[in-house]
Amino acid sequence: MAHIEENPLPVAADTGPLNSETAKYHTFVNLALALAAITGVELVLVYIPFHPVFILSVLLALSLFKFIAVIAWFMHLIYDKLLLTLAFGTGMAIATGTFVALGFLMSPSNVDFEAITQF
Amino acid sequence: MSNTADHADSHSSLVVDNKKLLMWLFLGSDCMFFGTLISTHLIYRKLYPDSFEPTTLFSLELTSFSTFILLMSSFLMALAVSAMHKGQLKSFRRNTLGVIFFGLIFLGCQVYEFAHFVHEDLTLQTNTFGSTFYMMTGTHGVHVAIGIFWLICMYFYSHTGKMDAHESAVDVEVAGLYWHFVDIVWIVIFTAVYLVEFIPEI
Repeated sequence: MAHIEENPLPVAADTGPLNSETAKYHTFVNLALALAAITGVELVLVYIPFHPVFILSVLLALSLFKFIAVIAWFMHLIYDKLLLTLAFGTGMAIATGTFVALGFLMSPSNVDFEAITQF
Repeated sequence: MSNTADHADSHSSLVVDNKKLLMWLFLGSDCMFFGTLISTHLIYRKLYPDSFEPTTLFSLELTSFSTFILLMSSFLMALAVSAMHKGQLKSFRRNTLGVIFFGLIFLGCQVYEFAHFVHEDLTLQTNTFGSTFYMMTGTHGVHVAIGIFWLICMYFYSHTGKMDAHESAVDVEVAGLYWHFVDIVWIVIFTAVYLVEFIPEI
C-alpha cells in the first residue's frame, strides 16, 4: 500500500492510455467524415467539365491523401515504431518502382504488337 | 522488484511486437502483389485502349457506395481496436459486428457488379480488360472475404471467455491492420480503375 501511495505512477499509467484512446476516438470520427466527404468530391469531380489533366491531378492527390490518412491514423502508424513504417515502406517503394518501371518498359512505342498477335 | 519493473517497462517501450511486425511485413509484400496486379491492368488499358469501353458497364454510384461502405468499415475497425485497448469487450463486439456487416455489404455489391458484367458478356476470357479486371478486383474480394472470416472467428472467440481484453488487444490490432490494408487497396483501385475511366480524353 505504501508503495502505491508514494508512487502515483500506476494510476497515471492506467489513465494515460485511456485518455489517449479518447483523443484517438475524436481523430477517428473526424477522419471518417473527411474520407466520406472526399469520396463524394471524387464522384462529383469526374462529371465536372474541367481540364482532364486538372481532374486527374486532383483525383490522384485526393486518393493519396486518403491512402496516407488511413495508414497514418486508422493503422496507427504515426503512433507506432519507425521500424513498422520501414517494413511497410519498403514494400510500398518496391511496388511503386515496379509500377513506374513497367509503365516505361511497356509503353506502346516499346511493344511489338505484331509479335504479340502472332503468339 | 522496482528495478526489474523499470527494466521491463523500458524494454517494452523499445521492442516491437512480433505479431505486428510480421503483419506489417506481410502487408508490405501484399503491396507488391497488388501493385503488380494494378500495374498489369493499367498497362493493358494503355496498350489496348480500344479493346473495351468500361464506362458503358461501370456504375460509379454503386462503386462509390462500395467505397464509402469500406471506408466506414475501416472506421468501425479502428473503434474496435480502440475498444479492445480500453478493455471494453462489449464495444469491441459491437464494432466488430459492424465491420463484418459492412464487409458483407461490400462483397454483395461486388458480386452484383460481377454478375452484371458477366450478363453483359464481359468474362475472364473476353479480352485483356476482362482478364486483368476480374483478376485484380477478384483478388481484392478474396482478401475482403478472408478479413470477414477472420473477424467472425474473433467475434465468436470473444464469447468463449478465453479472450482477455488487454492481452488480446494485439491480436485485434493485427486483424485491424489487415482490414485497413484491404481498404487502402480499394482506395487505389477506385481511383485508378474506376474514376479515371470517366475522365474524357485520358
